Amino acid sequence: MAMRNAYIDQFPEEARVIRAALWSSFLALMIGGTLGLIQGLHRTNVLRFIPSQDYYTVLTAHGVLLVITFTIFFLVGIFTWAVTTSLDRGVKDIRFTWGWYAMMSLGTLLVGVSILGGVVDQIPMNADVLYTFYSPFQAHPAFYVGFVLFVVGTWLAGFDWFRTWWAWKKDNPDERIPLPTFMALTTMLFWYLSSIGVAISILAFLLPWSLGIIDSVNPLLTRTLFWFFGHPVVYFWLMPAYMLWYTMLPKLSGGKLFSDPLARVVFVLFLILSTPVGIHHQYLDPGIAEGFKFIAMTNTMFLLLPSLLTAFTVVASMEHGARQRGGEGYLSWLKALPWRDPAFTGMALAGLMFAAGGFSGMINAGLSINYLVHNSWWVVGHFHLTVGTAVALTFMAASYWFIPQLTGKEIWNRSLGLVQVVLWFIGMTFMSNAMHRAGLFGIPRRTAEPQYEGFSFDPAVGTVAEIDAQVALGAALLTLSVYLFITNMVLTTIGGSTSDAIPDNTYAGTLSGPEDSPAIIDNLKLWTSIAVVLVIIAYSLPLASIIDAGGLFGPGIDPWKPSVVVDPSLVLESVRGVMP
Amino acid sequence: MSSAIEKGVDGKHPTDETDQVRELDHDEYDPIGTAILVGIYFLILVALWIFMYFIEFLGNGPTVTGVLLTVVGLA
Amino acid sequence: MNIHTYEKTWLAVAMVLIVGFIATITYGAVGPGIAMIDDDGGTIDPDTINDDERFSDPGVTHVGGNEYEAAVVAQAWAYTPSEITVPANSTVTFYVTSRDVTHSYTVAGTNVNTMVVPGQVSEMTVEFDEPGEYGILCNEYCGAYHHTMEGKLNVVPEDEFDLTELSTEAPDEAQLGNQTTINTTVSNDMNYDLETTATLEIGNQTVEQDQTVEQDQTVEQDVTVPAHGSETLEFAVDTTDFGTGDHDWTVTVDGHEGSGTLTVTNATEGGDGDA
Repeated sequence: MAMRNAYIDQFPEEARVIRAALWSSFLALMIGGTLGLIQGLHRTNVLRFIPSQDYYTVLTAHGVLLVITFTIFFLVGIFTWAVTTSLDRGVKDIRFTWGWYAMMSLGTLLVGVSILGGVVDQIPMNADVLYTFYSPFQAHPAFYVGFVLFVVGTWLAGFDWFRTWWAWKKDNPDERIPLPTFMALTTMLFWYLSSIGVAISILAFLLPWSLGIIDSVNPLLTRTLFWFFGHPVVYFWLMPAYMLWYTMLPKLSGGKLFSDPLARVVFVLFLILSTPVGIHHQYLDPGIAEGFKFIAMTNTMFLLLPSLLTAFTVVASMEHGARQRGGEGYLSWLKALPWRDPAFTGMALAGLMFAAGGFSGMINAGLSINYLVHNSWWVVGHFHLTVGTAVALTFMAASYWFIPQLTGKEIWNRSLGLVQVVLWFIGMTFMSNAMHRAGLFGIPRRTAEPQYEGFSFDPAVGTVAEIDAQVALGAALLTLSVYLFITNMVLTTIGGSTSDAIPDNTYAGTLSGPEDSPAIIDNLKLWTSIAVVLVIIAYSLPLASIIDAGGLFGPGIDPWKPSVVVDPSLVLESVRGVMP
Repeated sequence: MSSAIEKGVDGKHPTDETDQVRELDHDEYDPIGTAILVGIYFLILVALWIFMYFIEFLGNGPTVTGVLLTVVGLA
Repeated sequence: MNIHTYEKTWLAVAMVLIVGFIATITYGAVGPGIAMIDDDGGTIDPDTINDDERFSDPGVTHVGGNEYEAAVVAQAWAYTPSEITVPANSTVTFYVTSRDVTHSYTVAGTNVNTMVVPGQVSEMTVEFDEPGEYGILCNEYCGAYHHTMEGKLNVVPEDEFDLTELSTEAPDEAQLGNQTTINTTVSNDMNYDLETTATLEIGNQTVEQDQTVEQDQTVEQDVTVPAHGSETLEFAVDTTDFGTGDHDWTVTVDGHEGSGTLTVTNATEGGDGDA
């Protein structure tokens, strides 16, 4: 026992918080994943057992649980690991750490209950507003309050990591910031910057409006503030995955990180460029001048750079591992990689899918081509490759390494883990590919029944039926994969026996270390200032013109509560009624 | 650097890299395989971009157009 | 910084890729002239849509030459009008706004696609070269029946297209021997005057009484309907020779038809009692 040096042995208190965060994350994954299957079967008309109007409650829950709860709970767990491990010191006050975890959990509970009110009559709430909660849809105030609590919880988590770092810096004044901590801190800095947008949107507008304190909001303004946060949040999900690719994947491959300096440059670029790009979600919005959209596109395109650099550095680190394991040749070294390890294989496949998702993201970034893809199923295909695989599969794969670290127990069944990650890859190949294709001939996203009365879709290649079948099959395989994962995690945690064979809690060494990069790279104040300036350049004029044209509180926008369920034929009559 | 950074094979890492047969440092290692893979990726990206923009998109008319003078630059 | 040569090369290649992407998009704006939805449509208070010059009577109007405007009001869960018809070889500027929540106005299978945000007017200009039929759908979630929100866009051959509309108003019944009136209103949404002929045909097809069998009547009037205006025509009908029973009538203007049935009754058989 004395030999073992896993995370739980080094930081038993922190390990408990991280376990709690990871289990919150897994629970969200299980519920959200199940809801995804309901949607996949409903949309494609393979199996419909809920009324179509409830589809949107399910969709809201699927989105919020997977892109907010699942990802961010995992993030706070893994960043706590990264900071404590790389600084080799615990958090300052574990009660504070439990405090932010509790706050995030309470926020999640409020949001969850308000969404559940959409299908449970006994809960007098409704939040069928989807993950984007565009006004004038108005959710129950509990939805907004819960969202704020959750985000403030993440802010406090960031503060926890910063003050751990400050304490470390006092003891180590001349040392470079260890890479995992550097990654966590730069990520938090752009998170603070960008979540100001959603905080203003909710606290200044949507929450007072839902409480009846103000009567009207400017929908374009709250929408723009949402996307001020809404694109950086995708990098917030992605950065823990990147961190794992940089710090774990090289090690799992049997090698070292190819370049620590470039890893730092990449995270600095994300800090600088993540926020001034949100308008690329609004390329087809009225009320925003084309020039502002062009600026957002330019920033977005340059944001490809850190991801393209990551592709090289991470693959080169894997190749290093493969060659140290005896791999030879131009490409046959690939065979020398540890493909039987679910943690390695899952992350490598996640990275491969991110290369594909990166391509559809490049298309999404292109200004005018959004006329073709905007709000189509293509976009859903895209983010199921990015957040749905690059992030989700990396997190699941990493859990095969982390859960033993956090529990001191061996994984219940590693072979099943390998099956699970490969199943995810196969399921997502079917689903995402079909969604991308469907978007190109016009099938929209976010709809319960993409089958219309007056027209049908006309694919150039294949058929709608074949695409629907692939999506339904993919959704089924993905859900099965989630359940295999959860089963493995549960049986490891409650059934597994404590093992002395758990590897030491370490992360990858470097071939080229931080000493190869100038110290200015660690100047977080400098990069944050540049990020703020770029945000001001990208956003001040668009926001000013939106407020100037539509007013801070909009012209007479009435709230629209999605709970009012009426027969569409009555609505059509009312449409005729109001038309002169 | 932190003591937590992995120091290579020393027999204390039961599962992580028991298969290592040699140690390569930065100067001995050229990631030629990586260069080939990202090169292939680059070619795929260029080909797919051209296909998507010029065939899928421009071939998918009608398209929203404008007066030529107002569409360029930061109007 | 100690960066491997391969990685420096990749950095350069990545920059070429990025610049190439931006250049392609810029070419799309300059070459094919693709324009983005922007703030040209201006803002509108959703409560004033019914008083708005453009949106109080939404639909297609002719601007001049081959240019048209189409005003559309979106609301959960329908477009008004739900069907848009324009001629081929035309340039159509759409103005779309929302009465309630955010919608989209998306012509399926084309690059015509805009968000419709309440308070804003989306303006987009599209050239339609070929005839065709397209579905219109809403691709932004807009409430419980979002998936039922759809419309239709018909691009018809130029010679089949006009913006003439016909409505008729006539009594259902008249007493034998009285005079009655069939009113016909012709509206014209083209940007020029419509000079045409209106024709009324009225005939007895209920072969009950032999004196009217061959008695089909046709009356013609010349009419000029001003641009974006309408004109009402009165066809006076003397029922003296009709005989009692049902008489179908049809008004034809410029290929458009309005029709109805006039029932001629005996003075003693009730009717509206008019003598």
